[in-house]
Amino acid sequence: MEALLFNVSGGFLEGIVRGYKAGLLTQNQYNNLTQCETIEDLRTQLSATDYGNFLANEPMPISTSTISEKATQVLVDQFNFLRSNAVEPLSKFLEYMTYAYMIDNIVLVITGTLHGRNVDELLQRCHPLGMFDTLGTLGAATNGEELYHFVLRDTPLANYFRDSVTAADLDDLNIEIIRNTLYKAYLEDFDGFCQTLGGPTADIMHNILSFEADRRAINITINSFGTQLTKEQRAKLFPTIGRLFPEGNNALARADDIDQVRQACEGFSEYRAFFEASSGGGSRANGNGAGGGESTANLLGDLSEELGAAADLEDRFFVHEVHLNKLAFLQQFQYAVFYSYIKLKEQEIRSLTWIAECIAQNARDRIHDFIPIF
Amino acid sequence: MSGTGPRESIFPTRMALTNTKVRLKGAQTGHSLLAKKRDALTTRFRAILRRVDEAKRKMGRVMQLASFSLAEVTYATGDISYLVQEQAKSASFKVKARQENVSGVVLPAFEVDRVPGSDFNLTGLGRGGQQVLRAKEVYAKAVETLVELASLQTAFMILDEVIRATNRRVNAIEHVIIPRLENTIKYITSELDEMDREEFFRLKKVQGKKKRDAEASEALRKTLAAAEEAPASPDVSGGGGDLLGSKDEDVIF
Amino acid sequence: MANQQDRNLLAVIGDEDSVTGLLLAGIGNVGQDQKKNFLVVDSKTQIPVIEQAFEEFTTRKDIAILLINQHIAEKIRPMVDKYQAAFPALLEIPSKDHPYDPSKDSILKRVQKLFGE
Repeated sequence: MEALLFNVSGGFLEGIVRGYKAGLLTQNQYNNLTQCETIEDLRTQLSATDYGNFLANEPMPISTSTISEKATQVLVDQFNFLRSNAVEPLSKFLEYMTYAYMIDNIVLVITGTLHGRNVDELLQRCHPLGMFDTLGTLGAATNGEELYHFVLRDTPLANYFRDSVTAADLDDLNIEIIRNTLYKAYLEDFDGFCQTLGGPTADIMHNILSFEADRRAINITINSFGTQLTKEQRAKLFPTIGRLFPEGNNALARADDIDQVRQACEGFSEYRAFFEASSGGGSRANGNGAGGGESTANLLGDLSEELGAAADLEDRFFVHEVHLNKLAFLQQFQYAVFYSYIKLKEQEIRSLTWIAECIAQNARDRIHDFIPIF
Repeated sequence: MSGTGPRESIFPTRMALTNTKVRLKGAQTGHSLLAKKRDALTTRFRAILRRVDEAKRKMGRVMQLASFSLAEVTYATGDISYLVQEQAKSASFKVKARQENVSGVVLPAFEVDRVPGSDFNLTGLGRGGQQVLRAKEVYAKAVETLVELASLQTAFMILDEVIRATNRRVNAIEHVIIPRLENTIKYITSELDEMDREEFFRLKKVQGKKKRDAEASEALRKTLAAAEEAPASPDVSGGGGDLLGSKDEDVIF
Repeated sequence: MANQQDRNLLAVIGDEDSVTGLLLAGIGNVGQDQKKNFLVVDSKTQIPVIEQAFEEFTTRKDIAILLINQHIAEKIRPMVDKYQAAFPALLEIPSKDHPYDPSKDSILKRVQKLFGE
């Protein structure tokens, strides 16, 4: 069915996005990039890729943040092009994608507002994908109470706020909790929306989103060890759409250390693999990380093994996310490609920034620790 | 010569001479003590110097590692700098000043005073929290190095200052105070000698005069006696004359 | 000496990354009157602002160590070189984009001079 009618409205954009996808950096190009001696070299190498001359007008000492900023701008331009050409329900789908960035932006503005910062300054730091018209007015509120009653109600995220946050929650300590509560609500909502679309979109998106949900649940669990976040609070932050839900989530909510997290994930072969590999002495899959890790350890003494292992876990999550997103391209006539493309591009920007960072800081032994896409 | 070089304006008396000698002795002792102190400080200073140099270079590497761990955070969570800046409330990483005594110089040394703070505990909760934690640790280690370096550097500055002051004092004693005291002593001694000589000469002179006077009066007496030979009885006047003459000489010497 | 016991804070003038990292380590302190012990310097920050912050941090009584990025110290070099007091201790630190250059450090310059002689 979708094969018959999809192309009426979505065919053009799917073509575009597959074209974009072909422009992602290849392994070969990454190899070239990692050979660069200076940022200047990197720029030259990049101009031969799809990024073109995006850095051409920058004054010479290019900082890594400029690179990431400009690369994000490329992504934003592409996204805006897609969005302005989209019709329902794809436009709605794309809008949903921006909500994730909006959450970050709102949290940023709230934090700033609570400390009486200038809104213009805050807006400059917001992620361009998460911009919306009323974001600026958030700054008009002088305290948390006002912010909640008059301003947040008008944002696209009002639904999430209504369900999860009360005015009293708006202070510094809770800001991360708010962010994660919102994110949970968002993931569940997005998943619900994808289900209404049905067909392959629903299937693939559910796969990706449930992984995202599980990843957040595991991360929140690991990261909340040793903080004042109680187990009840923690449990409330777990999205309920993951594969771990409900049994695994309950186990995670009770977990006290990383071993119990591992046990909670035992039942899922992919997740088990993450832990198995990461507990094996913390050596990275590609073997390049060992050198860097060692010299770090030598200089700084005893950073606990657990930290290293957990950081590795995060890398594995990234790898798996990339893998899932790549799978999305195997099916035609569905919207998940848009989501996946943006995620892959983001990952690419991260990798790019990483490489630039390694070059700038002269840490060549770690330069291969990025996650290549193809 | 007593006239050359600066000296203290003082009356050249024996008392002053003793005093000045005591002071010279004191200055010499002071000089050797200060010189010893200077040597001790300089030894310390050189050691610190080397360590400062070392620590500064180490800091370069440590900070590089630290900023790299921040790059890892940025890689995993995105830009957190603004949140971190806004959430900073009260320092959990403080320093305590401790004091160390080197040859009477109080050198402050900073000690890390870390209280487990809850700031940024939840930063990166959903993503990258481990990297944040790691970056926190790495930076804390880096700051420890910085604190160590800061104590070294402060010690360096203070020692530098103190050594200069000590050097100034040593030099002042060596080149100003001691020569001046020595000059004063020379001056006093020479003045005293001079006075001795004058006194001796004066005495000689007085003696000469006395002698002359005595001879004159003797001559006069003799003439008078010769003149009175006839009327006065020779017994009485002869005995009296002898007695006076011998007595006179005793008074003079 | 008594007042040096009260000095227990570290202050920092640096670029965004350095400040963020140091704050993560826990040196950040915001006083009652929103007085911070850190200043973020970016390409838009005016020199007088840096100088003012430097002045403030060096005269505050509760700061034991002042950290400043070397490339920022470079901008107000005359002021930094003029600063001789032992408290607060002034420390030039490298930043991410500007690796450490020992030859520019005002303290190290003195060290080198002393070694050289």
